[in-house]
Amino acid sequence: MNPDYIAVVINSTIRMTMPVLFVALGSAICNKVNVFNLALEGQMLVGAFSAIAINFFTGSLVLSVLGAALAGMIIALIVAVIQIKFAGQDMVVGTSVNILALGGTSFLLYILFNTKGYFTDPSMSGLTKISIPVIRRIPFLKTIFGDLTFVDYLAIVIAVLMFFYLYKTVSGFRLQSVGINKKAAESCGINGTGIQMAAVLCSGILCGLGGALLTLGQVTLFIENITAGRGFIAMAAAMLGNSHPLGVMAASFFFGFAEAVGTMMQNTAIKGQLTLAFPYIVTIITLVLSSGKVRRRKKVKVYKKV
Amino acid sequence: MKKCEIISAGHKLNVKNYIVKLLQPIFSILAGLFVGGIIIALMGENVIDTYITMFRGGFGSPYYFMSTLTRATPIIFCGLGVVVSWRAGLFNIGGEGQMIVGAITSVAVAVYLPIDGITGLLISLMAGIVAGGLYALLAAWLEARFGVLLLITTLLMNYIADYVTTYLLVYPMRNTEGDAIVVRSEAIPESMWIPRMNLVNGSTLHYGIVIALVLTAALIFINRKTVFGYESRISGLNPGFAEYGGIKQTKMMLMAMFISGALCALGGSIEVMGTKHAYYGGMITSTSFAWTGLMAALVADLNPVGTVICSIFLAGIQTGGAMLERSTNVPLEITMVIQAIITLLISAKFFVRFLSRHSERKKEKEEGATV
Repeated sequence: MNPDYIAVVINSTIRMTMPVLFVALGSAICNKVNVFNLALEGQMLVGAFSAIAINFFTGSLVLSVLGAALAGMIIALIVAVIQIKFAGQDMVVGTSVNILALGGTSFLLYILFNTKGYFTDPSMSGLTKISIPVIRRIPFLKTIFGDLTFVDYLAIVIAVLMFFYLYKTVSGFRLQSVGINKKAAESCGINGTGIQMAAVLCSGILCGLGGALLTLGQVTLFIENITAGRGFIAMAAAMLGNSHPLGVMAASFFFGFAEAVGTMMQNTAIKGQLTLAFPYIVTIITLVLSSGKVRRRKKVKVYKKV
Repeated sequence: MKKCEIISAGHKLNVKNYIVKLLQPIFSILAGLFVGGIIIALMGENVIDTYITMFRGGFGSPYYFMSTLTRATPIIFCGLGVVVSWRAGLFNIGGEGQMIVGAITSVAVAVYLPIDGITGLLISLMAGIVAGGLYALLAAWLEARFGVLLLITTLLMNYIADYVTTYLLVYPMRNTEGDAIVVRSEAIPESMWIPRMNLVNGSTLHYGIVIALVLTAALIFINRKTVFGYESRISGLNPGFAEYGGIKQTKMMLMAMFISGALCALGGSIEVMGTKHAYYGGMITSTSFAWTGLMAALVADLNPVGTVICSIFLAGIQTGGAMLERSTNVPLEITMVIQAIITLLISAKFFVRFLSRHSERKKEKEEGATV
């Protein structure tokens, strides 16, 4: 296998990873405050749609990205209010919000652009690709870091920042304490519900950014249900990485790799429809392989108690 | 505790509770329609006229009502599938995948096995049921054996089922006759179709709806009178207690998921054997039968009879929505938005809160005193 091909695979992996990484970080921060947020998929989908819509109407990339983050946050606000404030059942809220996002984006697609299925327009431009001066001169690295946008790099930056916030700051520890024991944290004067809601809002922003990257990153296009289960793959990544930002990043890269391989296989003897199923199968197998041990340990604990 | 709320509500035999329970979905539906009305008004359409068109399209004449029932049939099956799994605390959101597996298996059996007539129909329905049940069982087994969250695997398996089925339709099972734009399988021989009921001239309603109603009755019986029904309810309410009480959780879980998957799959099988008579690409995902069934079950608070009623109501909104799309600028997707808003409002239990605010305040005070 020649180095060029490897570089292309790595580049493709990075591009596939970043949207999922945003959402996985969002999932991780919800896990950290012990909120089961199932609506990540919907938040991402709305972000993806808003990015395209704002891009089309204003032509401004900055506004599109900010607007996507804001839209994701608004959807997250619904989740936060109903699920945390009004103690709605997490499964019901999450599923309803996901369906609302799916129906709502398809609805708006028809209202705003008078089309069904997908929307793209030559007047729109995708996020600007960044080329780093030194790397640009080295052929191998040039391919690896080629075609990446500002938002792609932002994902890594946020992951690292989140690590420092959660594990190196007082506020981060407070946030974690809410997840470990909300009542105990509240007895120390921490606003548990407020922190939980803030965390869900953060996940909304992150999902919105991930969605914007999906529709404005590699392609400039919105397709109905473009997220296609990525929110759930991201949840798997957050679980796999044990909600630790850097672990989540590693897990996301793994799933990104699976998606990249799936895309690459389209050029081989295996038919396209089957390769599309590949990332989902890999996700399930990975969850099985990684959580086998966890389960056994838990069982022993239960028996000891009895 | 949060997990049980949805399942536990309404086990107190209290008239006021029942009224509140009944008012809850009704108010939520009205509120959902109200929000939908705001959206329609923002589009510059006449809200009242739009809703009249919509409800006339769903329930306005015997013929329209028959179309609604035809559409409701697979939705009811998926709703019942959700009832079985969710009340046992198993959040199966893979109804769509199970439905696809059931439908494609039935079509494959009906088209490629040299069988015919009513036996052929029964065999292909059975094949669909078993395939869908096993598909759901796989997810349940992964949770029981490896602790992989069921709700993630079932959802991801929707996409796997969809892509693999698309592959089957595009290559091995493709029907080369007819126009090349629509991807579809070979047609099912007419002798194997589920017979039509012919209550109204020209309606497509078939006996699938009868099977759905019979299964609803069976489900009520199972829930109330059998050990499995009791065990699954207790497991949903309080898994720890169920384990302590000696309920074999793994066995219960596998069984509940198999039944849940089988019900969803039967919905898919009946749709192809009764209505479409072939598998068309995307026929199950684009109609979002499974998600509508899920919402119907949630609106009904996992009550089987309520699920049937809600399924018919939501199906009516959808058939009406299709008519709306033809006559106004309002797209069909408005129905999905309204449905999702209804379930969201239901999940927050806003109206229960409103109606029993007084008693809740009292409770809070008591709780405050004990803490």
